[in-house]
Amino acid sequence: MNLPAELSAKIDEVITHYPVSRRSATLPLLHLIQEQFGFVSDEAITWIAAKLEIEPINVLELVTFYPMFRRQPAGQTHIRVCRTLSCAMAGSYQLLDKVCAAAGIERHGHDHGNPVAVSADGKYSIEFVECLASCGTAPVAMSNDDFHERVTDEAIPQLLESPGSSATVPKIHPPHWREKRIVFQNIDREGWSNDIEKYLLYGGYQEMKKAFAMPRADIVNEVKASGLRGRGGAGFPCGVKWSFIKPDEKKPVYLICNADESEPGTFKDRYIIHQDPHQLIEGMIIACYAVNARLAYIYIRGEFPEGAQILEKALAEAKAKGFLGKNILGSGFDLEIYVHRGAGAYICGEETGLIESLEGKRAYPRIKPPYFPAVLGLYQCPTIVNNVETLCHVKHIVRMGGAEYAKLGRPNNTGTRILCVSGDVQKPGYFEVEVGSLTMGELINEVCGGPKPGRTIKAVTPGGSSAKVLSATDRYKIKEKQADGTMTEKEISLDDIPMDFDTLAAVGSMAGSGGVIVMDDTRDMVWTLNNINEFYAHESCGQCTPCREGSLWMKKITDRILAGGGVTGDANTLKGVADNIAGRTICAFGEACAWPTQSFIAKFKPEFEARATKPLPPPMPPEILPEELIANTEIQTLRGPHSEGTNERIAVAGSTSSKEELASHEH
Amino acid sequence: MSTETAAPVQMLNVQIDGVWMQFPKGTRVIEACNQANKYVPRYCYHPKLSSPGNCRMCLIEMGMPKMGPDRKPVIGADGKSEINWIPRPQISCAQDVAEGMGIRTDSQMVKECRQGVMEFLLINHPLDCPICDQAGECRLQEFSVEYGNGASRFLEHKVKKPKNVEVGPRVTLDAERCVLCSRCIRFMKEVAHDDVLGFVDRGSFSTIACHPDRTLESNYSLNTVDICPVGALTSSDFRFKMRVWFLKETKSICTSCATGCNTVVGSRENIVYRQTPRENNDVNSVWMCDFGRLNFHPIHSPERLTNPAVKGPGGNEVTPWEIALSRAATELKKYRGDEVAIIASGSFTNEELFLARKLSEAMGTTLIDIIPHNDQGDKILLSADRNANTAGAKLMGVTGGVPGSLLGLISSGLKNRTVKALIVLGEDATKVLGTEIANAQIIVATNILPNGTTKLAHLVFPGASFAEKRGSMINKKGRIQRLNRAIEPPGSARDDWEILRDLIQAVSGANGIYMIEDVFKQMAAATPVLAGLSLSKIGDLGVQLPLETGEAAAPPPKTDSPTAHTP
Repeated sequence: MNLPAELSAKIDEVITHYPVSRRSATLPLLHLIQEQFGFVSDEAITWIAAKLEIEPINVLELVTFYPMFRRQPAGQTHIRVCRTLSCAMAGSYQLLDKVCAAAGIERHGHDHGNPVAVSADGKYSIEFVECLASCGTAPVAMSNDDFHERVTDEAIPQLLESPGSSATVPKIHPPHWREKRIVFQNIDREGWSNDIEKYLLYGGYQEMKKAFAMPRADIVNEVKASGLRGRGGAGFPCGVKWSFIKPDEKKPVYLICNADESEPGTFKDRYIIHQDPHQLIEGMIIACYAVNARLAYIYIRGEFPEGAQILEKALAEAKAKGFLGKNILGSGFDLEIYVHRGAGAYICGEETGLIESLEGKRAYPRIKPPYFPAVLGLYQCPTIVNNVETLCHVKHIVRMGGAEYAKLGRPNNTGTRILCVSGDVQKPGYFEVEVGSLTMGELINEVCGGPKPGRTIKAVTPGGSSAKVLSATDRYKIKEKQADGTMTEKEISLDDIPMDFDTLAAVGSMAGSGGVIVMDDTRDMVWTLNNINEFYAHESCGQCTPCREGSLWMKKITDRILAGGGVTGDANTLKGVADNIAGRTICAFGEACAWPTQSFIAKFKPEFEARATKPLPPPMPPEILPEELIANTEIQTLRGPHSEGTNERIAVAGSTSSKEELASHEH
Repeated sequence: MSTETAAPVQMLNVQIDGVWMQFPKGTRVIEACNQANKYVPRYCYHPKLSSPGNCRMCLIEMGMPKMGPDRKPVIGADGKSEINWIPRPQISCAQDVAEGMGIRTDSQMVKECRQGVMEFLLINHPLDCPICDQAGECRLQEFSVEYGNGASRFLEHKVKKPKNVEVGPRVTLDAERCVLCSRCIRFMKEVAHDDVLGFVDRGSFSTIACHPDRTLESNYSLNTVDICPVGALTSSDFRFKMRVWFLKETKSICTSCATGCNTVVGSRENIVYRQTPRENNDVNSVWMCDFGRLNFHPIHSPERLTNPAVKGPGGNEVTPWEIALSRAATELKKYRGDEVAIIASGSFTNEELFLARKLSEAMGTTLIDIIPHNDQGDKILLSADRNANTAGAKLMGVTGGVPGSLLGLISSGLKNRTVKALIVLGEDATKVLGTEIANAQIIVATNILPNGTTKLAHLVFPGASFAEKRGSMINKKGRIQRLNRAIEPPGSARDDWEILRDLIQAVSGANGIYMIEDVFKQMAAATPVLAGLSLSKIGDLGVQLPLETGEAAAPPPKTDSPTAHTP
């Protein structure tokens, strides 16, 4: 394969980022090849395998696992429209159709299995993708690597024609008065930019220097004392996680920043990366120093190409200042940080899936035990995986001291956290607040301007789309500690739920990643659940049985109900399937895909039952028509990847009516 | 025998379904349950491979000792530690037992887990059992009986996947039947060291595949068919040939090289349909190579020799056994002992080789040897020595330290016509003796198929193939193992030991051998290392003999790391 000299050099340089295993460079090489040629050819797969001294199947496994890689060329301008809940609620299905019309693309017959539709002239191509992590500015789309927010009908020509991205541009506005900005103090700030000089001017990298003067154990203890809980979704205490690393560990220790922000409804890490990358890098340096990690990676989701560039520039700046590399500022501490890009797989947000992905494999989460990352993580060595926001908090804990930081928020729910609100509110957005300082009602009505005119709130998903949905009409029982230490039970409404880890868990949901998705009374809950189900069916890695089979089954059932084929048992079947997934899978994705179904059925069962009344399902469209059996001596049984039909022709012939019906429900 | 005393194995107390038992430290939970007669269903777990824990069929309830405030286990009324049950079900395939662990394999939760997984595995399965080769030995069928639902709740179209895919020259894939347990992928990576299988696509569309440049060509590819718990990978050779429940299973050994992999011969009505490996951790673990496995086809060749033949004016003429044997004796007795040479097969059984040696003694010749067959071996199972019983031939004195070293002498004897009579047992001597073989005044040959030697031979006796005879062989590590008869020899072909017995009798008078056990008895009496053994005492797994074989009697192919759970 003929590669330009520049690309060859870049490839050789990238391989050096992975001193332990060349195989880890598979994803970066695939990105570089696709950037150069527009797609990953069969020849390229063989070439990469030879270059990295691995089997070609190991490259093919990745190309077919990570949806960002194409095996066919796309158009000159490749448009990616977000399909996931908040964007769909904001009209991304209609947007997709309009962009197709404007670009002259016939998209019929394309789905997740065969996502890229190209215009006849080859100028444009379009793809419906899962969550682009900017739910507050829905609907969003990408034009090649440029990001476009709030894509209105009028903005479609700009999406198709004009280069330039709105992602990095700060939207200068002061924080809401209920906010307490610590991590987000520089976000959307007037006069701020993401270069290192600006960061240093405002006291940047001072905490790093302070940390270098501290014994490692003291930093871990400060983080423990701060009560900081992970901001990625699980809420595990950060200091406890760090203390799993033995101080006298003989194996190398790795730290990975999980910047694979992809839980639908969550869009916080994107702004830190774009507007304040040095805060993250400083937090990482402190964290690496505390756990004695000499090599760290930022695993950033593939759909953040600008973010990856910004981070690489910031890392180069930090290195130029001597904050990275050998013997940092004379401390005797060496550290290298590299950016590693994902390629469109939600499961990489799961820490062991992320580790597998970073090792150059399919992101199959590992079984625990024995693969606890702190013991057997990256390359079977102790590894700490922390979320972007979590690592940023570390810098402030070093600045304030753990005890002082712990005064923020509520006991066991300390500090601030960024809540991302999207969906049916007047002013969606991101808000950094002290944990638990706001109730759900205050967040929605006061901070986000309440529901749209004339509407009422119907339901809220408080911690990313996998969190269990909460109904506005339900009453929630919580236990409250009284001054005398006794516990009393109290019944509260949705509006009165404080937004902290423990209360949200107590009312049957979770604080998760802080992504709050609000649904008003116009929302069809069957449609909403179907949208969520499609996301999880697409994102299931397929490793373990319940999630692999169950996630698609749930999607097929809600598809059928939407298409008018619901039968009386469907609500119970949906719940039964979800019950058979939750708690029985290798990783928490099982819960993530089962909880929405379980909670939607629990809270909104009448809506499902009203849509599923047939005693028997209507006859399924035939997969192979009798006349085809007669006409053809051979029926093709090979399918395209992800395509459900036996082949394009048969799928079209068999299911046109139901697809149109389905589409009309979606609009 | 090692004289060192092994360190005592720590025994751990484990409660399984309410009963406390002891297991050695390092016992996998799923194996402990098995030992307690609580079989846990599984698809992905295989004791010889790493544990990915992906099928979720082996979910059980697990608990650890309840700890008191003093960090010591709380002891219950029964004197055993109380158990803190983990609320979520746990897989039993990837964890070892621990002191005070509790396991429940029969609770309602466990039952529901198994039912749930079975339902998931079947919704996209084609349910084409009537035409599936795996039917009858399929884990999906077996566990359906116990954990399947009577009716399906699945009203949707099943996912379509590739069918009838030749993933390699000997293996056919039906991806719709696949439960994605990854056993085949792990086998190819960890045991065959040929990482050509992988998953492509994602989620419910995940499929086993090869890269087109590197297909499943390994000489161990058919083991993937054995370990496939369902009908996804089938043997292209066996496919659609026979329902497995009709197969008679005969325990035997493979005779295609000196390793002596333990096998099961599957036959029906005198036809062998397949050969599969049988577990013997001192020989072949649970694997065998494709070459050996498929090397049974010559048995059913239409060329098979089925009748004794005597060379006449019009070519070979079918002749009754008695006449042919006495003719052979008459002809052979015309020569002095030093005018006779015997070439035997290194893949003959010990019994046959012992009788070949006796024949040489009866004839009064010392010119007896085997023909060495060496080819490419590998570091897994296949030995470079393609004779199955070189060690036996040495022990029986049919060959010396270097097999075939007398062949040169025989060849030159033929050339200068000092060797006049040639007895070739189950071999083709033309390849090693060249054209000089034509100088022999008489050639007596036994074989199962015609070859250059049988064409020249004056007397040809049809013998029995490995699947048609009983007897013993000694593998390259000095382990004596047993062949068992799966089918009868065709036509009037006979066991080679019978032919030899009758020949010896014809040239030297009665020899007191009536059954193969008698041969073994005589052989054991004459061979000190076989003292006390008999065919029945060898058993199904063989007996290690104290022989100097140059090969350590260490256990055979190991996985990369048998205890690691590499995902």
